[in-house]
Amino acid sequence: MAEVVLNQVVKTYGNVYAVNHVSLTVADGEFVALVGPSGCGKTTTLNLIAGLIEMSGGDIHIGDRLVNDLDPKDRDIAMVFQNYALYPNKTVFKNLAFPLQMRKLSKSDIEAKVLSAAKVLDITHLLERKPRELSGGQQQRVALGRALVRDPRVFLMDEPLSNLDAKLRVQMRTELKRFHQDLQATVVYVTHDQLEAVTMADKMAVMNGGFLQQYDSPKNVFDNPVNMFVASFVGSPAMSLVPLEVVTHGTDVALRSPEGWQLPLSAANARKALTSTTAKVVLGARHSTVKLHTTQTPGTVPGVIYTVEPTGDITFVQVFLGASVVIVSLDPSVIVEPDQKVWIEFDQDKIHLFDGATEMALAAA
Amino acid sequence: MSTQTATPPPRFGPAIPRKRSKKRIGGWRWAGRGILAFLLLFTALPMAWMIITSLKSQLAALQYPPQWWPEEVTFQNYIQLLSPNNEVGQEFLQYFWNSFYVSILSTILGVAVAVPAAYAFSRFRFPGRQFLFFSVLLRNMFPAVVFLMPLFLLMKWLGLVNTHGSLILTYLTFGLPLSIWLLKGFYDNIPVQLEQAARIDGATRFQAFFYIVMPLSSPGIIATGIYAFIMAWNEYVYALTFMNSKDKLTLPVGLQRFFAEYATNWPGLMAASFIMSVPVVVLFLVLQKYFVRALTEGAVKS
Amino acid sequence: MTIDVAHQGGAMPAPRLRRKPNVFQRIVRHWNDYTYIAPALLVMLLVIAFPIYYTIELSFFKTPANLSMDKKIFVGLDNYWAILTSRSFWDVTYNTLIWTVFSTFFAFVLGLGAALALNREFLGRGILRALLLIPYVISAVAASYVWKWLYHSDFGVIGALSVQFGFTDRPINFLDNIYTALPAIIVVNIWKEFSFAMIMLLAGLQTVPDQLLRAAQVDGANAWQRFWHITMPHLKGVSMVTILLLVVTNLNSFIIPWIMTGGGPAGATDIWITQIYQMAFGRIRFGMASAYSVILFIVMMLLGYFYVKALTRGDEAKVG
Repeated sequence: MAEVVLNQVVKTYGNVYAVNHVSLTVADGEFVALVGPSGCGKTTTLNLIAGLIEMSGGDIHIGDRLVNDLDPKDRDIAMVFQNYALYPNKTVFKNLAFPLQMRKLSKSDIEAKVLSAAKVLDITHLLERKPRELSGGQQQRVALGRALVRDPRVFLMDEPLSNLDAKLRVQMRTELKRFHQDLQATVVYVTHDQLEAVTMADKMAVMNGGFLQQYDSPKNVFDNPVNMFVASFVGSPAMSLVPLEVVTHGTDVALRSPEGWQLPLSAANARKALTSTTAKVVLGARHSTVKLHTTQTPGTVPGVIYTVEPTGDITFVQVFLGASVVIVSLDPSVIVEPDQKVWIEFDQDKIHLFDGATEMALAAA
Repeated sequence: MSTQTATPPPRFGPAIPRKRSKKRIGGWRWAGRGILAFLLLFTALPMAWMIITSLKSQLAALQYPPQWWPEEVTFQNYIQLLSPNNEVGQEFLQYFWNSFYVSILSTILGVAVAVPAAYAFSRFRFPGRQFLFFSVLLRNMFPAVVFLMPLFLLMKWLGLVNTHGSLILTYLTFGLPLSIWLLKGFYDNIPVQLEQAARIDGATRFQAFFYIVMPLSSPGIIATGIYAFIMAWNEYVYALTFMNSKDKLTLPVGLQRFFAEYATNWPGLMAASFIMSVPVVVLFLVLQKYFVRALTEGAVKS
Repeated sequence: MTIDVAHQGGAMPAPRLRRKPNVFQRIVRHWNDYTYIAPALLVMLLVIAFPIYYTIELSFFKTPANLSMDKKIFVGLDNYWAILTSRSFWDVTYNTLIWTVFSTFFAFVLGLGAALALNREFLGRGILRALLLIPYVISAVAASYVWKWLYHSDFGVIGALSVQFGFTDRPINFLDNIYTALPAIIVVNIWKEFSFAMIMLLAGLQTVPDQLLRAAQVDGANAWQRFWHITMPHLKGVSMVTILLLVVTNLNSFIIPWIMTGGGPAGATDIWITQIYQMAFGRIRFGMASAYSVILFIVMMLLGYFYVKALTRGDEAKVG
């Protein structure tokens, strides 16, 4: 296993930056997820690491080797593709044997390695089948087996679970995590599903528009999103964002809505809010940190319920605060109805404040 | 449709036949059947007459009014053509063999040349790619006869006149544009991830192509192969011009000489035409789906 | 906490891009790619590019009958002038037009009829389709001899049938009559190639979405309206390509007229190609025949332009 280091990596297509000066280090044995919406450059980044496309600038190291100009076959990596890319005309056994054949291993070695990989993944009974005779989950295992079979330095995975149905995806997620724990493998994992990243990865790299937005542990990304994009991308349901305006009354600082209500800020939050480049500040709150009142109480702001979505153990309620929507989670025993007038209470210790102009998170000066 | 059943439908018992509306569709169907019947007769009668004639003696063929069915069915014409013991048979079998191996060789070489080219046109983005691609396709536009003179001179300089090499070299270009076009379509449809996987698994670009992609395009290779073979088998103009010694002729040209020498032997000529058609028709019938694909690919886009 | 942040609004690190390569560098970089097409290119150069070049060159020369080309004489545009002012050229052009237009029209119409009739599941459909395609597959030489026998002046079955049914008193000599020879061989040509149009259009019909037809049916369109408003627009592209290919094939056809009539009687079935062949290999006047070929080239190039255009419709985005 080895670490992977990207230094100022750039990929352009004409004048478009698909990957824009991305630098990150994947430590040996770490599971790193590249997440972001489609077109954010995450798959391009992965392909650059694999060597499937040519870089426009920057350096990539795998282990102690600079691999910028190496062919994929010489980088000692394995890759699992979204559509599995199993060789349709070869049996499962031959699919697994192919990487070993290309490395000119002896027949007996190949057989031994294929059989042991098959055993690990519990696909021994499928070895003589062709890929089209397998279910999605089985194909997924074979693809994993083909990556596993020759002890690569790095595993690259390109949305490996996105073609599976919801139930199987959850199951394979667990297995992949276990697989990583057992092998202590270095994994770079691309997904558009932030939940996969949060549940599996040691670190997640959130990308958007070719830029690396934030690279940190899932917990830190969740707790301290660096900007509004990351805040709204990570977490489900997404963080509610309410654009407001900073007003001061002497030493007191409050946020004022276009409708006229004001939310006084705690001292810590007041210091943050005052660092904003303009008076515009966006308040962010996760559903679990927001309380809902059916009567007006001090420190609350008024809103109107838009929808009520029971999910069984939690009921999500969308509340209109003027023009913005705030999502609140409630115990299912609480009965509320659409169009009901309610009051929202924010937890001052858990709200996020963003600069309304730069969209960056505000920190205390 | 206005007739209403007065009695209520029985609750049990046989299902009530659904009333079928007599729409004008009937008329269209009949028109279609009429066209098909006409075309079937148009297509089949000449071929039927070829076969009927080939089963007559020469004397029986030259009668007016004709014998609609041979009074005495004879296979003499076929026996004569196919027996290696008489002069006519030897000559005919020689032509047949010449046609066969020229067609086979030019087909194999044509495919061998077309496969890597089609792959390159599908996968690589090299400068001049589009220009080259369309100049290859333009080959379709030029009549064989126009190329005949310069190629005849070229073959003369290369010392290839009156050798089968000249025909093979020429024929392999017939199928080439179509093969490249058709195979390119195939390669376009093979996910590029398969090659990427192979390259990550340790294959070079060429190995990825050879071990993974090429086997997947075998239907396309068969399709273009059949097309090229049939084209070569039926080719007449170049064979007529490039070959001049009797033992080198291919069937289409040989047929003509056969006709010239045995001018009045219509039943023999029909038998020879029939035998000549057998290989291509069998090939076509067996691999029809590939052949149709070769013809229609590219022109039809969904 | 190590946070590595880059944001669209934030400052961007100085670009360290590799320089964009020029065309020459790109050719060098893609050197390996060219080796894949090299064999095809080589053959095409030898068998296509060279002939085209050489035909154009020869068209400006008077060539000796023994074909030793070092003794050819430059005559400028004389060959072209001689051809374009000759009466026979215009007669042949007229024949070529008749031949091409009628062959193409009937082959297309019959092919369309057959395709529409076959575009429905019924018993024996596959066999019927295969049977109709046989004339297209067999050798034109064999087909020509078969039809020559059918048209035979004394023992031909067509003549005998027309007497039998009382159309004529005695068998017509189709191929030796200047009025009937050209139509007679056009029929053979249609026989040979209508199924090509059929198979192309049948493939085109398969691309007509069933849902659209059903939607139209629900909307109250009758069979004719469905054909006209939904099927036909979908067939437009295929029809274009098919007609173009038929025109090109017919302009280039040689075997049927050459074997059945040899251009006769009295030039009634002489078309461009038979004329060029006769000029080159009958009278051994390569220079003149080359000039003739170049004229044909120019017509073909114009058609070729439309062919490629029709072929690449909708492919532009992918290729470009």
